[in-house]
Amino acid sequence: MKNQVNPKAEIALFIGLILFSIIVYYFSLELPEPEYEPLGSAALPQGLAVLMSLLSLIVIVRAIPRLKTYQANVDPNPAVIPRPMLSLLIFVLTLIFIGVLDFGFLGFLPAGIIYLSVVGYLMTHRDLKRLPWVIGFSIILTVSSFYIFTKLFYIDLP
Amino acid sequence: MEPLLNSIEYLFQFWPMTLLFIGVTLGIVVGSIPGLTTTMLITLTLPLTFFMNSVNAITLLIGMYVGGISGSQIAATLLRMPGTPASIMTTFDGYPMTQQGKSERALGLGITASFVGGIVSWIFLAVLSPPLAKLALTFGPWEYFTMVLMALVMLASLSQGSLVKGLIAACLGMMVHLPGVDPSIGQMRLTFGFESLEGGLSLMPVLSGAFAVSQIFKDIINIDASPPSVSVGRKGMMLSFGDMRKYAVNFMRSSIIGTWVGLLPGIGANIAAMLSYSTAKSSSKEPEKFGTGHEPGVIAAETANNASIGGALIPLITMGIPGSIVDAILIGALIIHNLEPGPLLFTTNPEIAYGVISAYLIGNIIMFGIMMFAVVHISKVLYVPRAYLLAAIIMFCVIGVFAVGNSFFDVWVMMIFGVVGFIMERTKMPLGPFVIGFVLSPIAEAQLRSGLMSTDGSIEPLFTRPFAASFLAVSVLSLLWPLYAEWRKSKAAKVAAAK
Repeated sequence: MKNQVNPKAEIALFIGLILFSIIVYYFSLELPEPEYEPLGSAALPQGLAVLMSLLSLIVIVRAIPRLKTYQANVDPNPAVIPRPMLSLLIFVLTLIFIGVLDFGFLGFLPAGIIYLSVVGYLMTHRDLKRLPWVIGFSIILTVSSFYIFTKLFYIDLP
Repeated sequence: MEPLLNSIEYLFQFWPMTLLFIGVTLGIVVGSIPGLTTTMLITLTLPLTFFMNSVNAITLLIGMYVGGISGSQIAATLLRMPGTPASIMTTFDGYPMTQQGKSERALGLGITASFVGGIVSWIFLAVLSPPLAKLALTFGPWEYFTMVLMALVMLASLSQGSLVKGLIAACLGMMVHLPGVDPSIGQMRLTFGFESLEGGLSLMPVLSGAFAVSQIFKDIINIDASPPSVSVGRKGMMLSFGDMRKYAVNFMRSSIIGTWVGLLPGIGANIAAMLSYSTAKSSSKEPEKFGTGHEPGVIAAETANNASIGGALIPLITMGIPGSIVDAILIGALIIHNLEPGPLLFTTNPEIAYGVISAYLIGNIIMFGIMMFAVVHISKVLYVPRAYLLAAIIMFCVIGVFAVGNSFFDVWVMMIFGVVGFIMERTKMPLGPFVIGFVLSPIAEAQLRSGLMSTDGSIEPLFTRPFAASFLAVSVLSLLWPLYAEWRKSKAAKVAAAK
C-alpha cells in the first residue's frame, strides 16, 4: 500500500475531470459547423472531452476496489513534521496579497513589505527574535525588486 | 561550419558571456538546492528575457539548463538528497563515497563526468542538427501531426505513474490551450463569456503555476527539513590522466546512452542516468560494488544525465519538438520572442539555432570551471534558510508573471495552476505530458486541419507517407507497450501465486 494515492481523493478528482469534460463538450456544441475545412473548431474540444472522460472513467473503475483495502501510509515518528496548514495559510495570504494589489487597496511597496514580513514570520516558527531580520529582509527585497522592475525593466508595478 | 564559428565568436562578447556565466552559476546554485528545480528557475527567468535580444535570452536559459542538471549532483553526493530528479542515481554511489570520507573525489568524478557527457553530446548536437533540420524541411502537415502525437504518447507512457494518468494529463494540457481564437479559422471558442479568456491562457502563468507555485507550497509543508552539515575541501577533486583512461569506456558509453535517450521525446535526464547506471552495472566485472560507493556508478549517472541535454536539444532546434519539460519551456521562450521553433529556424534565424549549439558548448566549459573551483563555496547554499528563499521566490513569481502582460488576470491564472499542479503531483499525475500537451496542441491541431484540408478530409497520408506512418507506428507501440508489460507482470504474479 506504500505510496498509493488515496482512492477517495482519486475518485473525487477524476469525477471532477469528467464534469469539466462535460462542460467543455457542452460549450463546444455552440460552435458553428465546419464550412471551409473538414474538421471545424469544435472537433478538438469534443474529441479531447470524450477521451478525457473515458480515461478518467478507467481510473475511477480501477480505484473503486482499493476503497476497501486502502490504508493511509502514515509514519508515526516522521523525521520532519509536515506542516500542511502553514502551507495553506501562506497560500491564502498570497491570494490576499494579489487581491490587495489587483483591487488597488495598497501599492506594491507597502503591500509587499507587509506580505513578506508576515509570511517570513510564519515560516520562521513565529520566532520574535528573528522578526527584525525578517522585516529587514522584506524591506530590502521589496524595495530592490520595485526599483529593478520599474526603473530597469519599465514595468508599472501598482 | 562558418555560422557555428560566428556564433561562438558572438558568445565571447561581453553581454552574452556575462549572461551565460550568470545562467550557469544560477543553474548550479538552484540545481544544488533540493526542492528548487531547473524548470522553476527557467520559468521564473522567462519574463526577464523579454528585455534581451533573442540570442542573449536563449544563451542565458541554456546556461541555466546546463548548470541546473550539473549542480544537482552536489546535494545528491553530499546529503543523499538529489537537487533535481536527474541526480537520483548519483546518490547510490556518490553518498556512500561521502560517508567514506571521499566527498571531494565523488564530486570530482561527477563534475568531470558531467563535462565529458556534455562535450560528447555537443558533438552529436553540432553534427546531426543541420542535416536533420534539412530533412525536417521536407516534412508536411501529416509528419508534423504524427510527430507531435508521438512526443505526447511517448511522454505519457514513459513518465512516472500510470499510462492512463499520463494521457489524461496530456489531454488536460491540450484542453487548457483551447480557450481563445481558433488558430485555423479565427473563430472564438470556449471563452465561457469571459473577455479575459479571448486571448487564451498564456504560457508564463500556466508554467509558473504548475512548476513554481505548486513546488513552493509543497516545500513549505516540509519547511522544517534541515540538511546535516558536511564539509568539503578541494583536494583530490581533479581527475588524473590515468583516471580518464581507466574510465574512458564508461564515459563514452554513458555519453552515447545519455544523448540517445535525450533525443527521444519525453524521456528526461533521470531516465538517461538510470539506463546508463544499469548498463554500467550489468557490464561491470564487479556489479556487487555498485551502490556501495563505486566510482563507475557516479560516472555513469552523471555523464548520462548531462549528455541527455545535448540529445534533447537536437529535436528542439531541428523540428521544434521538446525532448523534456525544460525543452518545452525553451520552445515557449522562442515563441515568446516571436521565433518559430522548427526546421526553418536554421534558415530564418540561424543565429538562434547556432546560438543554442554554441551556448551549450561554452556553457559546459563554464560549468566545469565553476564547479571545480567553487563547489566548496556553492555547497554552502544548501544551508540557506528556506523561509527567506521561499518567500523571495513567491514574490518573484507574482512580479514576473504580472510583468509579462501587465495584467493581474495572469497572476490569478498562475495561482489556479499552482493548485492544479499541486493536485496533479499529489495524485501522481505527471506534469510533463500536461506542459507538452499545452505547448504542442496548437501545432498538432493546425497541422492536422491543414493536412485534412489538403486531402479533402482523407487520412490516407497517415499510412502512405513513410515518416508519418513510422511516427504513427511508434506512437501505437508506445501506447501498447506499457499495457503489454502490465499484462505480463500480472500474469507472472498469478503464476507465482499459483505455485
